[in-house]
Amino acid sequence: MKPCISVFVLALCALFVGCNGDGGTDTPNPGDPPVQGSDSSAEKVLHLAMRTAGPQSLDPIRGTSVYDNRACNPVYETLLQYSYLKRPLQLEPLLLSEMPTSEDGLTYHFKLKKGVHFHDDECFEDGKGRELVASDVIYSWKRMADESNNPNGWWLFENTYVGFDEYRKAQNDAAKFDYDATVDGFKIINDHEFQVTLKEKVQRFLWTLAMFQLSVVPHEAVDMYGERFGRHPVGTGPYTLKEGDWQPGTSLLYHKNPNYHECYYPEEHMPEDVDAGLTKPAGTKLPIVDKIEVTMFEQDQPMWLQFNAKKLDFIEVPAEYFEQAFNKRSRKITSEFRQKGYTAQPVPLLDFIFIGFNMEDPLLGGYSEKNTKLRQAICLALDWEERNDTFYNNINIIYDGMIPPGLDGHPKDGEAKTSFRGPDVTRAKQLLAEAGYPNGEGLPEIHYYVGQGGNSQEQSEMLRRHLSQIGVELNVHLVPFPTLMEDVDNKKAPMFAFAWGSDYPDAENNLQLFYGPNGSPGSNHFNYKNAEFDKMYEQIRTMPRSDERTKILEQMRDLVLADAPYAGSMARTRFYLVSPRLKNAKITEVFDNWWKYLDVEE
Amino acid sequence: MWAYLFRRLAYNMPVYLGVILLVMAALRVNDPVYAYLGKNVTEEQIEARRESMGLKEPFLAQYAVMVKQIATLDFDTMSWRQQGTTVGELMSKAIWPSLALTVPALILTSVISICVSIIAAFFRGRTIDRSLVVIAVLGMSISFLVYIIVGQYFGAYLLNEKLNTEIFAIHGYKSGILNWPRYCLLPVLISVIVAMGYDTRFYRAVMVEESNRDYITTAKAKGASRQKIMFVHMLKNAMIPIVTRISITLPFLIVGSILLEVYFGIPGMGQALISAVTNQDFPVVQAFTAVFAGLYILTNLMTDVMYALLDPRVRLS
Repeated sequence: MKPCISVFVLALCALFVGCNGDGGTDTPNPGDPPVQGSDSSAEKVLHLAMRTAGPQSLDPIRGTSVYDNRACNPVYETLLQYSYLKRPLQLEPLLLSEMPTSEDGLTYHFKLKKGVHFHDDECFEDGKGRELVASDVIYSWKRMADESNNPNGWWLFENTYVGFDEYRKAQNDAAKFDYDATVDGFKIINDHEFQVTLKEKVQRFLWTLAMFQLSVVPHEAVDMYGERFGRHPVGTGPYTLKEGDWQPGTSLLYHKNPNYHECYYPEEHMPEDVDAGLTKPAGTKLPIVDKIEVTMFEQDQPMWLQFNAKKLDFIEVPAEYFEQAFNKRSRKITSEFRQKGYTAQPVPLLDFIFIGFNMEDPLLGGYSEKNTKLRQAICLALDWEERNDTFYNNINIIYDGMIPPGLDGHPKDGEAKTSFRGPDVTRAKQLLAEAGYPNGEGLPEIHYYVGQGGNSQEQSEMLRRHLSQIGVELNVHLVPFPTLMEDVDNKKAPMFAFAWGSDYPDAENNLQLFYGPNGSPGSNHFNYKNAEFDKMYEQIRTMPRSDERTKILEQMRDLVLADAPYAGSMARTRFYLVSPRLKNAKITEVFDNWWKYLDVEE
Repeated sequence: MWAYLFRRLAYNMPVYLGVILLVMAALRVNDPVYAYLGKNVTEEQIEARRESMGLKEPFLAQYAVMVKQIATLDFDTMSWRQQGTTVGELMSKAIWPSLALTVPALILTSVISICVSIIAAFFRGRTIDRSLVVIAVLGMSISFLVYIIVGQYFGAYLLNEKLNTEIFAIHGYKSGILNWPRYCLLPVLISVIVAMGYDTRFYRAVMVEESNRDYITTAKAKGASRQKIMFVHMLKNAMIPIVTRISITLPFLIVGSILLEVYFGIPGMGQALISAVTNQDFPVVQAFTAVFAGLYILTNLMTDVMYALLDPRVRLS
């Protein structure tokens, strides 16, 4: 029996080694009971899911994805935020005591809220978080200009503030980046007041102040942690996150910030919020729950099973489980879930999903009648409704133009007169013939670039079938997403699948995708150039919201539609299921700092 | 023996360096810089980022840096994707959860498969043998993914629901021997079921061959018990192919099981590697390759040594 004993001992050793390695990481199993003997039994813990490997960095200037945004928001804060319950979306002060004021629309005066402190951390004297002052805001913004930080959001500042572009260039060219050097457009009045001067009256300026990339960070933490600051965040937010609380790819654990400044659940709300029970906690000090546990799921099944096992408080229902949770036709929650007390929340996204054309491509690009008709024919051959039904359970919104539903400039009922949205095979064939390619004769195959993953292969097959109806042959290139970006940025992809999620709820953010100077590798991946459009874009960029502005937005939309630099469009709707123990949830994906309003039944 | 080992190591060095060279060249077919850029970038920003990532250096210079890092066991290079984390930290954290899965799975699979194959070989041609072969083939015929999906649903979710208590976790990981059954036992069992089919068939073939040898007939003639013939004579003489098969598996233990780790939320090497490949995190992929290739070479050497220890006829020279 000796060999058996040896094997048994070996197995035990392996178990011991494997389970007790110092480097081993713990992933919380959502819903685990509190540790016995601790006083955490009365703690309210919110259990959330992230259907991804999670954030890559918790340094706001490095953030790019929605997951970076979500992970940063509990820890950091911006000068402005979106009102939680009010619709349409509007901004309100967060780190400011009042909304910024300006007499001429160029110089804005900011007053910081007093008594806002950074999280307690070793980087501060005695480990106590110091008070936020005006120079912290300017320092945080300057970090975005410092190329050695590898920032990902300079475009939010570019060509906006007086002297900031010049400062960036000078400092990056210098041997050492000087954070103390002055910027003409930034003026600190005292510890709680400062003013900024814009180059022109740019409307998006205020929206960007609510974006997480512009969060305020203390220089002490950046100086002390250096490159590790992205794993050791220090902010003013409602929650703190210690270094070991983030297990990359697996989980995040936030703790309530005991020193969080005076912030209360909003009083202002929409009429329908009363019935939804969203108004009851009005006036409650924020944040409400003691801990937030976020678990990353790289697959749908474990997330769905965890939710069904009541270990997650809300989830976006994965497409393959949609019919278990909702009636496909009525899109209403199934009786099984309703009886258990679950509720559903459809959340429309500010999405622009499209198939783009490179307007500099010799075959598909250009503004001649022949090339324009070819693009229009392709647009008309595509059946977006079928795509929506086959791949998205028919829950998405199909529309004309690039302005998503809910924003000024979105066409009534989603239909614009100048649209070439299909399916209209007869007209597509006619236009193709007028372009000189009757039934596709003489037309070379079209190279279509699309990112791998999900059901891209199947969607490409459908696209191929749609185009084959008019005689257009498609050569599909399924490539990793970074390669797709490279091919599009280098203008190598004549036709490509892309999507744009609006950074803020203003059509300008989507229209800048067609602004000539933004050509690749900028956000105008179509490399669309239209002097008339550019002139109107420059006009609306500085105009406040008005009927006149909306009319111009519509004209710009129709101008682009006629030139057909893309085929589309579609906006996703996410269907969320909310567990009966979760309270105060008004789910949105436009902004992400609303976890602080959530409550759970103990 | 030492001279043999050093000679073999020297012979393997060009292969090792070649593997690193190939992987580095293959990674650079696509430009990774685009995976690390935000919206609305400019040409200057792309170039600046490429420089900060060290990609503007000539390829051979990048290769030389990598070789130097391996030679000095320097794994302090920062991951591109996980800001502030060195490659060494990343690997040292991920290796334990992987080992908690793969080592018990290997031991259990090997022990069970060897026992089953001995029984099958001893009862060769009879119902018990045929049944075991059919079960093994059935086990092999079903995809690993199916086992995981079904196993997770029935073993973790449904069982917990029925018993109203959590026997196996659906997702997550906690270190500590007491937590092991809850977080790792189910994935280990799934892994064992899948691997058993392959191993049993292989070991059965080995055992069948051994059971035809003269020494088995001699042992029978001498009146040795059935257990003694199977587990002492036959097993000892079949150790060379068994050791070969197990040693081939050893380097893969540190790579972990990608699918199991992804589905059960175990933060192991498999997950780390797949994330690094997907995100074009070159420093991490290169370090993984260096470690894996090194382990593979060392395991091969160890196998040769094991042959000599197990079979006195084998000489290392």
